[in-house]
Amino acid sequence: MNPRAGRFRCGMPLALALLVVGGPSTAAPAAGPGLGQLPQKWLDDERRETPLAGLVGRRVVLTMAYVDCHRICPTTIARLERLQQQLDARGEPAEFVVVGYDPKNDTPAAWHRFRASRRLQRSNWHFLSGSTGDTSLLARQLGFGFWKYDDHVVHDLRVVVFDAHGVVTRQIGPDNRDWLAVL
Amino acid sequence: MRGPIYTLSRRLLALALLLTLWLPTIATAAAAASDADRITELEQELQQSLRLIAELTTRVQQLEGAKAQEQGQARPGAPSGGGRLDAVESKVAQIESASAARRGDDSGLAMHGFADVGYGTRNPFNDALKGFNIGNLDFYLTPRLGDRTVTLFELVFEASDEGAVSVDLERAQVGYVFGDQATAWLGRFHTPYGYTNTAMHHGAWVNDALRRPSFLQFEDHGGILPAHTVGAWLTGTVHGANGGKVQYDAYLGNSQQIVDGVLDMRSGGNDHGKLIVGGRLGYEWTDGPVEGLTIGVHALSTSIEDNALNRTQVRVYGGYGVYDTDRWEHIAELYFFGNEDRSGTTGRHHSSAGFLQLGYRAAWGVPYARYERASLDQSDNYFQAQATGFSYTRGSVGVRYDIDLKSALKLELSRTNTTDRTISRVNEILAQYAIRF
Repeated sequence: MNPRAGRFRCGMPLALALLVVGGPSTAAPAAGPGLGQLPQKWLDDERRETPLAGLVGRRVVLTMAYVDCHRICPTTIARLERLQQQLDARGEPAEFVVVGYDPKNDTPAAWHRFRASRRLQRSNWHFLSGSTGDTSLLARQLGFGFWKYDDHVVHDLRVVVFDAHGVVTRQIGPDNRDWLAVL
Repeated sequence: MRGPIYTLSRRLLALALLLTLWLPTIATAAAAASDADRITELEQELQQSLRLIAELTTRVQQLEGAKAQEQGQARPGAPSGGGRLDAVESKVAQIESASAARRGDDSGLAMHGFADVGYGTRNPFNDALKGFNIGNLDFYLTPRLGDRTVTLFELVFEASDEGAVSVDLERAQVGYVFGDQATAWLGRFHTPYGYTNTAMHHGAWVNDALRRPSFLQFEDHGGILPAHTVGAWLTGTVHGANGGKVQYDAYLGNSQQIVDGVLDMRSGGNDHGKLIVGGRLGYEWTDGPVEGLTIGVHALSTSIEDNALNRTQVRVYGGYGVYDTDRWEHIAELYFFGNEDRSGTTGRHHSSAGFLQLGYRAAWGVPYARYERASLDQSDNYFQAQATGFSYTRGSVGVRYDIDLKSALKLELSRTNTTDRTISRVNEILAQYAIRF
């Protein structure tokens, strides 16, 4: 018996199952870890556990920010709101995830006040708080460089986009003017 | 006339044409039938696999339940299966968290900092000089030693008035974190009074304004307050139920000394053992109509000697208010001095200083305006002994323009009036190019 034939027979059901579940793959080559490979212990602003792997199946736009930032983060949030409007106009759904840089201050309660005061109440927006270790690890995995200068968090403008498979497909930086075109 | 060969040839040609058209159809039909069969077969295999997975899942659950029940009966005092599972999950979470924290540690010491260069019709810190100037090269180091022990070192290279480059360990702190509410620091730190001294550090890029108010400058830039203290500092933030934050600081350290007209923080100790003692208490609104507003009070007392061995008990108290939002950055600070001559007979002296700064965070930059005023009693040894201990007023307008996320260009126009030791009016145009790295 041809051993390859046996292997083929075992692999085919799996391949078929992937086809049935995942549909045709259109993702660009991965540029970083997938959603499922990132730290998963996060609380949203309602203190609900929000594992990032739970967002697989939808396009995810993820950035990092901190509540007390008045320089870069307001710009990032404003541009994400604009992106949300543009996606709405095209009828394309997406999940927007904002992870706090500063776990000591970016608590669920602080994010709750933040989104209330800025009217960011859509259910597809998630403001997440995690431990210091998980936050540092996620930042490192996704290339969000930052450091603390006393109460300031010194960081860049960066957005990472995951496709429905949870794979990083796009990265947005300060040089990108038209975020929708990047998507 | 056509013969039999011709007829045979025609028949063969027709047959060949027929076969050419018909055979692929047969082959395609056969292949289609084969694919359909194959897909059907695969679908059946998939169904079988799914059934097998479901059966195995059920079996595992049954075995886990039976085992948990068995262990629960064997040890009546032991927690139930669900309880034990929770305990195991909790333990796993602790291990994962610790592991993540370890993985999050920096491997090695990251090097970050700030630098700035500039031009002025007057030097921003010494109005006897003019032209181009280099500001700070500021290395900021925070080696991470664990979850509890924290460190902070700020090493600054700067040009002196004579043009020589000097190095100063502006901050050197080692601290212990008790929790979110309290951190105790030992070392050299920025004395926690008012707002500016612990919010606007040496890195020029962080600050929207080109420079601090003159009376709040660091000691070697003309400041008249002990901006640095070498000692112990307890600081923390307590989050209120309504979202507000109470910020507190308490500290003590070596009493400073005036050496050659400049306050010195006595990094190695002083020769009389007297202490500076002080504290600050503030409240920040993080919700509601005044979100971003912080108000606070502060006080300090220190015994200051100068080169002439005059000793002054310096008592400073005051208040501050900050409105810091995505749109506005307004800062106001007031300082009152009630100094007492302890070595002479000049008695008590009262002075005051303060400033108001209004800033607007536009999309293109941050324009700001500031008015500052110091009214300092010149018969007070504490001010008399300081090279910059004179009264003045200054009005400034300026703008910060962010070239990119790591560099900013600042421009400031100001007019300064000195009003007692000398009477003068100085107009300045200052430019600064500040970066971070």
